Amino acid sequence: MNVIISDTPHVRKRRTTKNIMLDVIIALIPAVIAGIVFFGYKAAVVLIISVASSVATEFVYSLCLKKKPADFVRNFDFTSVITGLLLGLSLSSTVPWYVPLLSAVFAVAVVKMLFGGTGKNIVNPAVCGRVFAFIAFQAVMISGWADAVFGPVEGSIKAGATVLTSVLSEGVSAMGLTNLDLFLGTGLQGCIGETCKLALLIGWIYLGIRKVIRWEYPLIILLCTAFTTVFLNKADFAYFLPSILSGGIFLGAVFMATDYVTSPSSRVAKYVYYACLGILVAVLRHATKIEVVSFVILLMNLTVPIFNRIFRPVIFGAPSIKEKLKARAAKKEAK
Amino acid sequence: MNTQKFRKIASDGLLTNNPTFRLVLGTCPTLALTTSAFNGVGMGLAVTFILICSNVLISLLRKVIPNSVRIPAFVLIIATFVTIVRMVMEKFIPDLYSSLGVFLPLIVVNCIILGRAESFASKNDVLSSALDGLFTGLGFTVALTLMGTVREILGSGSFFGLALWDFKIAFFTSQAGAFFVYGIFIALFNAVYSYFERKQHRKTFLAEFDVLPASEKVKEG
Repeated sequence: MNVIISDTPHVRKRRTTKNIMLDVIIALIPAVIAGIVFFGYKAAVVLIISVASSVATEFVYSLCLKKKPADFVRNFDFTSVITGLLLGLSLSSTVPWYVPLLSAVFAVAVVKMLFGGTGKNIVNPAVCGRVFAFIAFQAVMISGWADAVFGPVEGSIKAGATVLTSVLSEGVSAMGLTNLDLFLGTGLQGCIGETCKLALLIGWIYLGIRKVIRWEYPLIILLCTAFTTVFLNKADFAYFLPSILSGGIFLGAVFMATDYVTSPSSRVAKYVYYACLGILVAVLRHATKIEVVSFVILLMNLTVPIFNRIFRPVIFGAPSIKEKLKARAAKKEAK
Repeated sequence: MNTQKFRKIASDGLLTNNPTFRLVLGTCPTLALTTSAFNGVGMGLAVTFILICSNVLISLLRKVIPNSVRIPAFVLIIATFVTIVRMVMEKFIPDLYSSLGVFLPLIVVNCIILGRAESFASKNDVLSSALDGLFTGLGFTVALTLMGTVREILGSGSFFGLALWDFKIAFFTSQAGAFFVYGIFIALFNAVYSYFERKQHRKTFLAEFDVLPASEKVKEG
């Protein structure tokens, strides 16, 4: 008889890292399709380059660590595919070929593998890769936002400005697009993945149903951003929808900020963390007049250890805070 | 001075106690000034010159300076030479003077110079101190030049001001890039250093216990 002796925890579900990551990839597929439909073959090229170079970097790194290629294939957990996809989705489709390539190499090699691989990185690799691209190739990144080929491209939007930047600098009346346009991404300028909010919403719902993330996490970020923006603009609710439907907040909230590795572990901590993130996005957007989502996520990632220290998750079987308080009260009474 | 001592001082300054990559001293100019290779060379040579002069003077005065006021005395001596270097540089190489900016007067409180004064020059004779200043300064210069070269080639596509190509990764000229390049260099330097150290250890161990591996024995035979 075969007896398998294993340590706790005895997990009976087939919920592996690979499994979860495949779910995230499936959730990203609508956004990928929308990006390719909106921006043409160039978007596909950017995505392919960034995914391929992410995976290739991880492969080369494992070879450097003298691991066998067969082991690499067996243990491959698709995290670098997601890193590549998210990085590609957060770039404009007009960037030259070396931007996704070098950013992906930086994201995987420096941000993830040098810190110890999957689960050990202190900041989200895709976000850091985007910030790297932003700092390294600033001229290329800011100048060329591609027009989505569908719908009316309004003449009122200045060349090189996204809807968000024009809203930020000239107020919501200068937007020139309806909220529905923003939601569907028609006539928008921006990154490959962040234009079509409908596709991202489908991904969000899928992740929620599959319980990869709790469905309320992105909602907290979006609501906090929206309410803070409204508050900062003298309670003008015309800003409510544009603030969450323009820019990269939707992509960031659903896919980047909810990364397991770089968010606090207990649920209460997560609520506070996401609320802080949302508020910070709105405040910094208001102050700097540019899109700051990736920078804010990077910044908040670094505060995760503090959140983990303040909000300790209760260990299974250990007395909860309520029970501890009760016990303390009982002790006092006994005295 | 015997050769053994000379070799020890030289290898200490350049490798074992390389101020930038092993001791992580003088980080401020290292990170701020290595945007171009020329800046690195300029800063390194300025520090080298001041280091030699201050080491010599402190070594000469090591028996005169009372122990309780030695740090102010060191700073005074260093400040004198820094002022001289500043004036000479402003007159003859104003370009380098303006690009080094505030970091030139800040050499006064550079921890490499103070560190060598405290740990070496105040305890050793004049010739050794001068050599120590020279080699520590050269170690610093080499480190700064290497970092400056890498950052300049990647960050502004040029080599010592000579334009190579149009491809620029502005990340490497930014502060984040400075920390990144610095970290990579420390890692590389320590990897190479520990490789040779291990090799040396193995050699001495084998020689001591007379257990040379078979391949080397055959060679000898």
